[in-house]
Amino acid sequence: MHARTCLVVDDSRVVRKVARRILEGSGFAVREAADGSEALASCRTALPGCVLLDWNMPVMNGIDFLKALRREFGPNPPVVFCTTETEMKYVEQAIEYGAQEFVMKPFDAEILLGKFGQAGLL
Amino acid sequence: MDDLLADFLTETNESLADLDLALVRLERTPDDAQTLSLIFRLVHTIKGTCGFLGLPRLEHVAHAAENVLVRVRDGVLAVTPDTISTALSGIDRIKEIVAGLATGGNEPAGDDTELVAALNAVAEGRGEAAAPIAPPPPVRETAPAPVAAAPVAVAAAPEPAPEPTDATPAEPSVAGQTIRVGVDVLEDLMTLVSELVLTRNQLLQLARSQEDSAFSVPLQRLSHITSDLQEGVMKTRMQPIGNAWNKLPRLVRDLAHELDKRIELVLHGAETELDRQVLELIKDPLTHMVRNSADHGLETSAERRALGKPEAGRIALNAFHEGGHIIIEVADDGRGLPVDRIRAKILSRSLATEAELAAMTDEQIHRFIFRAGFSTAAVVTAVSGRGVGLDVVKTNIERIGGTIDLKSIAGQGTTFVVKIPLTLAIVSALIVQAGRERFAIPQICVVELVRAAGGEGTAADRTESRIERIHGTPVLRLRDRLLPLVSLAGLLRLEQDAGAGEAGQCIVVTQVGAGTLGIIVDRVFDTEEIVVKPVAPILRHITMFSGNTILGDGSVIMILDPNGIARANGIAGTESHLAETATRVAVAQSEQRTAMLLFRAGGTAPKAVPLSLVARLEDIERDRIEVSAGQPVVQYRGRLMPLVALSGTLDTDKPRQAVLVFNDIDRALGRDRCMGLVVDEILDVIEDRLKVELSGDRPGLLGTAVVAGRATDVIDTAYWLTQAAHDWFRAGQKSGGSRLARVLVVEDSDFFRNLLVPALAAEGYEVTACETAIHALRLREAGAMFDAVVSDIEMPEMDGLAFVRKLREGGAWAELPVVALSARMHDGEMAAGRDAGFTDYVGKFDRAALLASLGQCLGENVHAA
Repeated sequence: MHARTCLVVDDSRVVRKVARRILEGSGFAVREAADGSEALASCRTALPGCVLLDWNMPVMNGIDFLKALRREFGPNPPVVFCTTETEMKYVEQAIEYGAQEFVMKPFDAEILLGKFGQAGLL
Repeated sequence: MDDLLADFLTETNESLADLDLALVRLERTPDDAQTLSLIFRLVHTIKGTCGFLGLPRLEHVAHAAENVLVRVRDGVLAVTPDTISTALSGIDRIKEIVAGLATGGNEPAGDDTELVAALNAVAEGRGEAAAPIAPPPPVRETAPAPVAAAPVAVAAAPEPAPEPTDATPAEPSVAGQTIRVGVDVLEDLMTLVSELVLTRNQLLQLARSQEDSAFSVPLQRLSHITSDLQEGVMKTRMQPIGNAWNKLPRLVRDLAHELDKRIELVLHGAETELDRQVLELIKDPLTHMVRNSADHGLETSAERRALGKPEAGRIALNAFHEGGHIIIEVADDGRGLPVDRIRAKILSRSLATEAELAAMTDEQIHRFIFRAGFSTAAVVTAVSGRGVGLDVVKTNIERIGGTIDLKSIAGQGTTFVVKIPLTLAIVSALIVQAGRERFAIPQICVVELVRAAGGEGTAADRTESRIERIHGTPVLRLRDRLLPLVSLAGLLRLEQDAGAGEAGQCIVVTQVGAGTLGIIVDRVFDTEEIVVKPVAPILRHITMFSGNTILGDGSVIMILDPNGIARANGIAGTESHLAETATRVAVAQSEQRTAMLLFRAGGTAPKAVPLSLVARLEDIERDRIEVSAGQPVVQYRGRLMPLVALSGTLDTDKPRQAVLVFNDIDRALGRDRCMGLVVDEILDVIEDRLKVELSGDRPGLLGTAVVAGRATDVIDTAYWLTQAAHDWFRAGQKSGGSRLARVLVVEDSDFFRNLLVPALAAEGYEVTACETAIHALRLREAGAMFDAVVSDIEMPEMDGLAFVRKLREGGAWAELPVVALSARMHDGEMAAGRDAGFTDYVGKFDRAALLASLGQCLGENVHAA
């Protein structure tokens, strides 16, 4: 088993909790952030192994966080971008800014871990 | 996944509250990209999250709402009242489902296809078709279209896909420096801290008695820490009043649509903090006041234009701290209170006479709108005027120890001023002693403290505050008003310390509703901050106490509720006196100017009787008085007239006796009877307002009135008529075994009650009168028993039909004959009355019919004298 950290960035406590359960069940140590700027602060403290990133958040949205993350830390850590079908157009943008994979909400363990597997994170 | 659901509910409820505010803001500033993205994000989050929890209904609606918002955000759709209304109706449905989820744990069943279709229609730009779905029907077709005007103008210019890249850090982060703590945890902390404070106080008191103890320094520290801790815990319970205002912008917006007015809502001091318990209790009254201002206070746009006022009316809420209280003002810039309409209403409801009104200032007249059932709106609208009026607001505010007042200037608007305590947990209270017990009276109820000189009051020392005892019932003449008094020790039947009697008593003057009540206590101690603890459930029915507390010395004392004391004193009393008291309370309401006959009988204090009730004044020689079967009688106009001495015994030494002759004609039986009331001396006839201030529970007296500046007993003629008739009957017929028939009269009109009670009493019935059916039912619960009931049909609160149905449902009075009194005698109504359970139905003015009916109902087992 790997022992990596995943930073879950989502403004919904419920989504964070769901993701935490799935990822912890799969051996990740999970940290949480409620928006982009919190996530950025968290990365500055300690860079996580990977990031599960929501797009639509207050204060600093996912795209802005992604831009800042790449500017500051380069191509690592890998980011799985999380969104809903109404925001498909942002997926392209996210990939452009350096996201490895994207996952649609709502996700369950199978979908999320599948995506993590595709991104080579498991 | 249950805790997930709980998280979801908290999160969603927060979002929903923000959503309402944001949508209303968007309508005002349709090009506010930031607000738009906030709205979008909130709905998006709800939708995104409910997928995780398997909530298809919610997801479906949220998705449709999101579709609308996406198009608005992308500039495809203009922000119009229609769009907003439809979006709001989507939000409302989400709220409904979330509420169902919170109570049932599952999505409630329901069909959203219509709503979703409406949302989709709007999203696709077919807004017109969707309109009927939206709960607040958007105003269309009205030529000036006031609400729509501004938004439409801007609709052309929204920038495409406004990306909120420069999002300001104004949005508070959800998982930042705050943590969520259950309310019950805070409540427990508060209780524990209260206990700690009390223990600290006990320790301090102990330490005070022991000079330089080794404990004093650590105790000092403990004391400080406890105070800080208490303050800190109090703070955790504080919430900004803005939390109670969250719903107002949406409310006002919907009202504006509904009433076709333009309304601007201004909120000041939303950050003012107060205890969350108070906050909860103030929410509804505030909402109601805002409703009231929008509906009654503000003019329509057209009216405002004509008056040269800005078209948009303004409702401003302002909250601020003032001396341990929170003041909340609700101000509108509308038409002001219609004094003329209020005046007319007062007259039509006979709440005051024309003469009294003439003497009142506009402010005094304004305050009548706080009376029960007082609505001046000419047309009952859907918004207010539904009977739940400002009286309810006032009651609710008073319940938490607050007050409400208003200022109104015609044409400029009305301002309601609410003053409420910061917290209910700790109050400032006056500690008093009665008997050997101590009690706390909340400071907010205390008007003033008066020390009364002991002994009987005489005319000479009218200027001094004195307790005047009139047949054992104490009153205090305080600045030319009679203040009813109640002795705390007497009321609670406490053992009195010897010597704590008449010599200088303390009277705590308390505010009870609109009036005042003096509570006689033996000693007054200090004012203390006390921690209010609820009364134990087994004592909760005793309304005289509002709670209890523990004093510094460890003793547990009760907190008095002056309202409860007034009730206990006015109506409850001891149960055996219940019926009597009820009669007197009921009869003592008249306020018209009445010619009063002043006389003296038994004692120096003058007594009075309404002159209209006296048939003749006679001066009868002593020799003419005979005694027949123990009853003094006199030959008068060819028959024997019974005499009753008001003082109890006839003074046989006097050569002549002054007699008030009362005459009563019984048309039903075609006889006319009279009785003579023997008094010591006839003094004067004075025209004065017969305002019976206090209803003593002494037989034969209506109560006490200030007549010509003196406390004067007003005698109850009905009682004396019965006395004579009763004795006369017994003496003549020697049928001592049969008892009087007891009749309960339920009638809301003073006039009819005053007409009926003496008439029935004169007929020999033992009469008890009640103003309302509720009151009558209370008598039933208290165990009072009657032989028959006479009830009016049309009465406030509970009408005669409802009353009789209630009686027939069961209980001690289920089988009683109940005679209906009605002003209208339609066949239909009579049938309805009989169906409801009335035994008989007679016209209001038909005294003969009533007496005949009662006679029939009561049959042979009991007799009227």
